[in-house]
Amino acid sequence: MTIWLTICGMAVVTIAVRALPLLLLRGEPPGWLGRWLGLVPVAVFTALVLRPLVVSAGPDPRLTIGAPLVAGLVGAVVAWRTSNVVATIIVGMAAYWALRLIGLV
Amino acid sequence: MTDPSFNRPPPGWRADFRAGYLALLPLWLGAAPFGVIYAVSALAAGLSPAQTLAMSLLVFAGAAQFTAVGMVAAGAGPFAITLTTLVLNARHLLLAASLAPYVRQASPWRRLLLALQLTDESYAMGMSGFLAGRGSVAFQFGCNLSMYTCWPLSTIVGIMLGQVIPNPAAYGLDLIFPLSFIGLLVPLLREQANRPAAALAALLTIGGALWLPGSWYVLLAGAGASGLVALVTQRKAPATLAADSTPGGTP
Repeated sequence: MTIWLTICGMAVVTIAVRALPLLLLRGEPPGWLGRWLGLVPVAVFTALVLRPLVVSAGPDPRLTIGAPLVAGLVGAVVAWRTSNVVATIIVGMAAYWALRLIGLV
Repeated sequence: MTDPSFNRPPPGWRADFRAGYLALLPLWLGAAPFGVIYAVSALAAGLSPAQTLAMSLLVFAGAAQFTAVGMVAAGAGPFAITLTTLVLNARHLLLAASLAPYVRQASPWRRLLLALQLTDESYAMGMSGFLAGRGSVAFQFGCNLSMYTCWPLSTIVGIMLGQVIPNPAAYGLDLIFPLSFIGLLVPLLREQANRPAAALAALLTIGGALWLPGSWYVLLAGAGASGLVALVTQRKAPATLAADSTPGGTP
């Protein structure tokens, strides 16, 4: 039930941000707003990448440096060189499993 | 360029629509793995198959869906997830706003229909059509519907795969989520203008994840870092669109 409510909320706000400019706007967005919105994806992606790599999940979050972070750095190198998401995932996971094999957690 | 006179008389609506649909097919390769991975991680987070597919059909926004699934797994509630979705998808304001001049002669209902299925991929392809002088509302519709075919289909494939995979975390498959976002993030960092926001977001993320409850760190870093950097920097050119239209998921 909570999930369905979540999906409805997500659908409403997503439709709103997609539809309102197309229905209302006739010109360009003001410069400051454009700059802000343009930087939102990079900021959000950074947050989503970093938390699982360096902060442990659970009730007592703490900074952790280990295999996930190293695998993430390997993935970042692949992403920088190829801009290929699938390659990033494959090489990153391979690095993670290799690190687990040699005992790093 | 802002006068879209070239598509005033619809020359072969069906042909334009088909051209748009086919033009987007290569981008399926970039998006489909995400649809599969989304579905697998959604099931792992506790969503039912019906909920997993419904989110793909009703929300139809990859990054927001990944984020929502991660937040559900972290125990976040509907309000926090909806608010984060709003922040994440606020970039669609920008895409839709820049598309508006090209489709303004379409009826309000058609513009609404266009808006429902607007994604990074279909926007990039449809807009490049407009900029090259061969775009049209029908072409944009074709692009949109192409991605709206790919995404639910790959979600269904993921649902079927996900019920076979017993516990993704045991194999470290939960790492696919940050890794896929590295694939989206790192190409954005080629843009100099994006780097200060990423650096500030990194600090806010670690602080927020350590000291704030639930997943509020996403909102703190997502809205805070971008807002602060936008306030401080006084660049004249909207270099933002270039960063946004980068098709991060496509090889």
